Amino acid sequence: MFTTGSKFLIGASVVALLATVIYGVGQDGVLGTVGLASATIGLICLTVLNFILGDSNVFADDEAPVETTAAAQYAPTGSVWPLGFAFGAVVVAVGLVSYQPIVVIGLVALIATGAEWTVQAWAERASRDGVHNAAVRSRLSNSLEYPIGATIAAGIIIYAFSRVMLWLSKTNTVVAFAVLAAVVLAVGFIIANRPSLKTGAIGGVMTVGVIAVVAAGAVTGVDGERDIPEFETTSIWQEEAILHPEEYAEGAAEGKHPAELICESPEEFPEADEKASETVANKSGTYQVLLNESGTLDFDVPGPKEAGAVGMVIPRSNATNVIFRNNSDEDRRLSLDLGTQTVEIEEGGETEEVEARHQICTTLIEPGGAQLLTVKAGEPSFAYDGEENPNGPDGADGFWFFVPGVESATLEVIVP
Amino acid sequence: MSPDIEPANHDRTRRRDSDTATSVESVISNLSRARAAKYAAIVGAGALVAGCAENAPQDTFQPDGTNAQKIDDLARPVFYIAGLVGVIVLGVVAWVVFRYRDRGQPIPEQTHGKPALEIALTILPALILIGVAIPTVGTIMALNETDDTECVVNVTGQQWWWEFDYPVQDGCMPGGITEPIVTSGQMVIPADTNVLIRGTSRDVIHSFWIPRLNGKRDMVPGRVHNLRMQANEPGIYAGQCAEFCGLSHANMRMEVVALTDDGFAEWVENQLADYTSPEEDTLAAEGEASFIANCSRCHQVDGLEDDTGNPIVARPDLQVYSGAAPNLTNLMTRNTFAGATWDLLRDECRDDVWDADSDVFTDRYLEGVSGDCLNEVDLREWLRNSPAKKPMYADPENLEETDGLYRGMPYLALSEDQIDQLLAYLLERK
Repeated sequence: MFTTGSKFLIGASVVALLATVIYGVGQDGVLGTVGLASATIGLICLTVLNFILGDSNVFADDEAPVETTAAAQYAPTGSVWPLGFAFGAVVVAVGLVSYQPIVVIGLVALIATGAEWTVQAWAERASRDGVHNAAVRSRLSNSLEYPIGATIAAGIIIYAFSRVMLWLSKTNTVVAFAVLAAVVLAVGFIIANRPSLKTGAIGGVMTVGVIAVVAAGAVTGVDGERDIPEFETTSIWQEEAILHPEEYAEGAAEGKHPAELICESPEEFPEADEKASETVANKSGTYQVLLNESGTLDFDVPGPKEAGAVGMVIPRSNATNVIFRNNSDEDRRLSLDLGTQTVEIEEGGETEEVEARHQICTTLIEPGGAQLLTVKAGEPSFAYDGEENPNGPDGADGFWFFVPGVESATLEVIVP
Repeated sequence: MSPDIEPANHDRTRRRDSDTATSVESVISNLSRARAAKYAAIVGAGALVAGCAENAPQDTFQPDGTNAQKIDDLARPVFYIAGLVGVIVLGVVAWVVFRYRDRGQPIPEQTHGKPALEIALTILPALILIGVAIPTVGTIMALNETDDTECVVNVTGQQWWWEFDYPVQDGCMPGGITEPIVTSGQMVIPADTNVLIRGTSRDVIHSFWIPRLNGKRDMVPGRVHNLRMQANEPGIYAGQCAEFCGLSHANMRMEVVALTDDGFAEWVENQLADYTSPEEDTLAAEGEASFIANCSRCHQVDGLEDDTGNPIVARPDLQVYSGAAPNLTNLMTRNTFAGATWDLLRDECRDDVWDADSDVFTDRYLEGVSGDCLNEVDLREWLRNSPAKKPMYADPENLEETDGLYRGMPYLALSEDQIDQLLAYLLERK
């Protein structure tokens, strides 16, 4: 015989199932179907759980079970979960009329508090012993509450700390991190050496520390991140000059940038040439090209160079990292001329193919500075045999590194 | 104390309930011992048989180079010491397990702490580790010595083959190398010469390993890694990519071929020789046309020209993900193809080269692949449908992730006539 509760759950499951099928067949919305299917699965699970536990199988006309069943004996304790559930419902309602992310937060609150409420209600029907009921609840809930709670707490702390780090200057982040690490070490040392310290005292210190980090994160998060500059790259300037020559010439005429191609210019371009040396991250296991004080280019590789090398040999079609080191007295850039390339230019709805120099270059590097240049040549050098490279020595063909403004600074790149 | 709880362990005793139970356990015990002895015999025999392999070209315990010898000189003593320690430990454990097995006796009194023993058992392993560390550090530093380099070869790994290019240099041989040389699958070096590999990768991390000549070295995209290759005597030394690199990692092999100085000079001269077109109106000439039509987009043959006399420059970067395909200019001077996975020589001809004594090896290798020795079966199968022969990401309908570029050689739908022509043409690439 089915109880009222069982009938309700069975009915709700059937209705949800029908709704899923009807919506899924009649509509294209995948999201709605998934939601209804989830609700159906949840209701079916509750129905099955209800049958297995049988807690609701108490009938008004069955006097003996009413007197002896656990469900008839308990005295429910106060619970915060209904309050949280209501709060979640309000948040969902507010989110529906404002911002979608708020709906998600409300739904999360609804699901979490609803689950806790359900478990607590179920546990309180376990026996007449409140302590035992609490243990039953804990056994089920704590296995989820602790890891999820710890994850959320750790996430909040990490997020707050990251806000502080992004708010501080680059130099101060190092100092702050070192100080924090020292504090953690000192606290750990004290705790380890004073085992008689009360748990409450340790907990208090931890709580104060966490509150301080979260509060600092909230304040700095509101204030915003430090100014992180973004620079134009040299390739963007190069493409702009080739793809939009008229606009590029206009910009040069207005004094916004030099008129030459950036890779052929010894002058500074807006933004592209600022603080380039700070971007060198890969500092080992790469080729190096050195601009000497005498105005010549030399190269180096990890390990010994081949004796009698006539140029720098790099594999074809391979992203080869080259560090440019400016050992001269002036700001200089390193450029590589890889022959020609065919570029498609769109103008007035029509596409035109034009031949342009295939060049890449560093930004302008200060004396003593360095920058990484990633070189990739799809064609071999011999594809340009007999074809003079305007940026190499007189009459030379092939590929050449060169330094705009320093005529003697050339270095052949051989791609076999 | 609760009356339900048993008394302390050291007071607890256990006795057999009856003679019947003892006899059953005895039978089971005897059966278990017999089974254990049988399994031990099988495992022991297997280990013994495995150690008897004669054809083991990638055996790291047969060093043929200076660096491989250094590794061997370090590894063997360490192995012997570790083996001795292992045998002692296992022996003691086995003796303790057997001697103090549960026979129903009272559990002896439990004690805690034995400072002298604990200190000794800490210091002894530390001393052993220090003893191992000193020669290990020395060997590591010696293996990274490159100042005495006599020859440089650039090595580039990609899915699933190795490319070797020889930069212009004064080293490697008297007179040096005057033009760049590009080859694949087999790296040819002069014997008894300190060759430096300058390695990198075009796509994913690979690892270069010729066990009989040196240890392994990862080849990481965007970085350059050095590794010494030196072979004491002329011969062929097999290797294998040692870092999992995708679908055909197991098929990414390579060999180092060490030749005499004169032999190496002859090999270089041949690699730099001018291209010779096949004679007109021959099957090979038809093969040249077929090669230009079907293969030259990816595979470079130096000196090959189109109808207008312009050199044909392959652009594998427009076709394959790694941006490279093997240079086939002198294909038939090698013994292997497709990532050194298959032999270009038939078995008997292959054995003549691989098993040759060092004093005749160079001449045998430089003979290259003749028509009589060509392993047509595998080469035909490769040309007929390479993705069916070697697992590769070469399905034209599944190239979204690589922007339409193949990884490995695609299916070219060549006719049998075209394959005949290509075989005739390739056979002349010596």
